[in-house]
Amino acid sequence: MAVALSSRLQYGRLGAIGLAGGLFSGLLGVGGGVVMVPLLVLWGGYGQRDAHAVSLGAIIPISAAGVLTFGAAGEIRVWEALALAVGSIAGAQIGAHLLARADERKLKLAFGVFLLVVAVVMAVGR
Amino acid sequence: MSTLALLVALVAFGALAGTLAGLLGVGGGILLVPFLVLAVGMSQHEAEATSLLVILPTALAASLALRRRDVGDLPVALALGTVGAVGAVAGALLALALPADVLRLGFALLLAIAGVRLVRDARARVP
Repeated sequence: MAVALSSRLQYGRLGAIGLAGGLFSGLLGVGGGVVMVPLLVLWGGYGQRDAHAVSLGAIIPISAAGVLTFGAAGEIRVWEALALAVGSIAGAQIGAHLLARADERKLKLAFGVFLLVVAVVMAVGR
Repeated sequence: MSTLALLVALVAFGALAGTLAGLLGVGGGILLVPFLVLAVGMSQHEAEATSLLVILPTALAASLALRRRDVGDLPVALALGTVGAVGAVAGALLALALPADVLRLGFALLLAIAGVRLVRDARARVP
């Protein structure tokens, strides 16, 4: 009984995490991993690596739903998306291979600072 | 920019975004949307919509690669994502109803939060 209850609670939590990630993804055009990964770690009891993997799989139906909704509104630029996707799929493999060798700390610092600069440009730029 | 040059630039930027995503778990849409708005000149709504169509096949390919290495739990992930799909439709409808300026500010906030988190992570690991 306790097991059933706790697993039901776990399903409830996972559902809430998925819903939050999906809402975020559709609203801002991102995968939603930026919301789901920390929630899966803090709230779902997942390790960092498994949280990344689960978040990545969840992004498949989430982004498909966003694509259908934005597509129905005629907002998608298909050729640009396909060109980016060709590069992105190749890049994801390269990234996974580089992972073993990269200095993650320096990379995170540089990328984090870069995102902060882009945030300012997005906020004030026109 | 000629069509061919644009195509090459898009493939190259896609590769950069994908590589960072593979390395850090961040860097798909969070890079694609600002790039499409600031460099390609798309509207905020077009950029978000197009970003999602890039993310879909990338996440699919990356998930299959992880599955081959036996990392993660794809059935749980897909269940999570199916609930998430309801949220995604709601989020996209909300985005379509909101003015571009509001979304752009929201996106800037997301970038700031992700940036601060990365910098904090990096500093926390100093031995």
